[in-house]
Amino acid sequence: MKPSEPADWRRISPFAVVFFVGKTTRNLVRGYVQLVATFGALAVLIRGTPYAALLIPLALLVIVAIAGLRFWSFRFRIEEDRIVIRQGILKRTSVDLPFHRIQGINVERNPVDRLLGLVTVSLDTAGSETTEGELPCVSRELAEELRRRIGFGDQGRSDERPGVAEGTVPGVPDIDRDRARRKGDRAPGRVLLRLSAGDMFRIGLGRDNILFAMMLIAAAWRRPRELPYRLAETFGFSEDLVRPALETAEATLARTDALGEGTFTGGIVLSALAAVVAVGVGTAFLRYFRFTLWREGTAYRSRGGLLTQNEVVVETAKVQQLTLSQDMLLRMLHRFRLRMHPAADADASEHHDVPRVLEVPLLEAPLAQEMRASVFGEEGEGPILLPKSDDFRTVSPLYIQALALRLAVVPAMAGAILLLPVTGLTKVWATFAGTWAAIWIVCGGLTALQRWRRQGYVYGNDGMAGRSGFVGRRVDAFLYRKAQSVALKRSPIERRNGLATLEVELASDTVTVPYIDQGVARRLRDYILYTVEASRRRWH
Amino acid sequence: MFINPEVPLDSLPSADDLDWQPLHPRFVRRLQVGALVRVLVVGIIGSAAYFLMTSGDSAAMARFADRLLPFALTAFGLFAASVLLWPMIAVPRRGYVVREKDILHKSGVLWRSVKAVPFNRVQHTKLDSGLLDRRFGLANLSVFPAGAGGHRIRGLGTDTAEQLRVYVSERIEAEALDPADED
Repeated sequence: MKPSEPADWRRISPFAVVFFVGKTTRNLVRGYVQLVATFGALAVLIRGTPYAALLIPLALLVIVAIAGLRFWSFRFRIEEDRIVIRQGILKRTSVDLPFHRIQGINVERNPVDRLLGLVTVSLDTAGSETTEGELPCVSRELAEELRRRIGFGDQGRSDERPGVAEGTVPGVPDIDRDRARRKGDRAPGRVLLRLSAGDMFRIGLGRDNILFAMMLIAAAWRRPRELPYRLAETFGFSEDLVRPALETAEATLARTDALGEGTFTGGIVLSALAAVVAVGVGTAFLRYFRFTLWREGTAYRSRGGLLTQNEVVVETAKVQQLTLSQDMLLRMLHRFRLRMHPAADADASEHHDVPRVLEVPLLEAPLAQEMRASVFGEEGEGPILLPKSDDFRTVSPLYIQALALRLAVVPAMAGAILLLPVTGLTKVWATFAGTWAAIWIVCGGLTALQRWRRQGYVYGNDGMAGRSGFVGRRVDAFLYRKAQSVALKRSPIERRNGLATLEVELASDTVTVPYIDQGVARRLRDYILYTVEASRRRWH
Repeated sequence: MFINPEVPLDSLPSADDLDWQPLHPRFVRRLQVGALVRVLVVGIIGSAAYFLMTSGDSAAMARFADRLLPFALTAFGLFAASVLLWPMIAVPRRGYVVREKDILHKSGVLWRSVKAVPFNRVQHTKLDSGLLDRRFGLANLSVFPAGAGGHRIRGLGTDTAEQLRVYVSERIEAEALDPADED
């Protein structure tokens, strides 16, 4: 590894031109969407002139030229305690990122990067100024060096959390660590989890959308009886063009007599199911293939992905919130999904296409507990993670009433009122409105009941957790001192019954605990504010 | 479970019995003028739609429009009345309190909310004032903690807003310098 002192400006690899071509194109396309009317008018104008076709290669040339210039203007410098990134062609920007402000490092390797042994590093910062640092196409060694200098998993920081610095051996020189990595493609630190190919199937199957797809298919089960007829009918309209298709459809029709129909229906359902499962499993393979999670000093680090490999490093002290969730199928498999949220940028959704949250797609309860213990440290008895824990208190049953009101009565009434001008105050209206309302009240009531059963909260001296869900379950746990603001909300029902909703805003997300006793809510609010205002520890 | 021997819970500063500062009295008028503009826009669009439907060739469409008219007029009347009167009900129930360590904002008539933002979590502040706000001599103060989209207190007098902003900025700096915030 090259020593980077004295610090001078460095360039990224020339292959970054490819990266910038992609980025420029994306920027342009986004611009197009906004100016679509203007460009549409332009296209109509140009249509008459044949030279218009020349614009396309010209545009490509311009994009490549811009990308080249962007690469040329891109320089960065790593200093003692900060990294400075300078870029821009017309408008020069210089981003100065002190290492201590960096919340997380994401390293991404798309297939081209992997061929060339390069990586793209994104540095996440907290706060609303959009000082996101991105280093495209740098060497892996540089990414490692950066990671080490920022101090992720560094022994120097471990004094913040005594007793959690096991994992790496302090005496091992960095060069050895790097060599070890290059040799076995394995990072140092204690490996906590490695997902196998079988796990990919579990992840792919364990998502709720699969469940909904199954329900949809089940709902369509009775339809296939008509399906061949419908198909034939549809094809019949367009005659010659689809004659072969029509013939196959008719041939199928002929075969689907009383006996064959069952097979036919089953075939359609099975293939639809297989397609849905294949998509789920395929996505899991793409995102999490060879997913590895390990602990390095005080940091967690994950890496996975089939084509584009993504690596996320999160320092435990900077974790704002832990989210443990379980969809229905994962529940049958006794597995969970865990997410560690660092502080988010104010407009994170716009600027990050890289996942910045460290997500463990599939893990068992003991590992989740271990990770909770190490993230929350000695403050951790309050925020419990496992949704089945008996410590969770239920919220007031009046929550069912409030939810049902919102979910059922409002749409039922809206439907009835909207129908009124169409039918007038007639018997037809009464029948329709009545049926409509009945459907909504039953569905909404059951949904509300189920959601109330899932809702829960637990609090301790230093942190709390909220549980919610409908089909699956989800627990959001955090420490009081990480709160950014606290709100107490009271609806008419809550006010009448001495209840309140507590909303704690974190730098990552907002955790809401609805319909709890107002005394408890007030005390929690005052206590959280006191903790935040008196805490001697950093929140990030 | 909820024990903390060093700080008895009863002695914690409560955020309940506070001396809420009201918003600027002109804020009601300002909201009503804004509402009036909205009512006019909806009225113009609605009547344009009505005339388009009745002046068209389709007799069925015209009949449908005539049947719709009483409902539409009732809905419009209710909308106009509620939108114009609402600020008179809502604004007196809003308010803010600035304490030593945090700023609180309450709002809402049916769904009431009290939000507290500690100064040592505020990243920056913003003062903004739209066209209508400026005509009424009002400004809005936003405080931005990390991560979230920020919290906005609307309807302050221009001078009050500026004083508040300066005070909040001073508090943020004081919190940042406070050795208690270092590890």
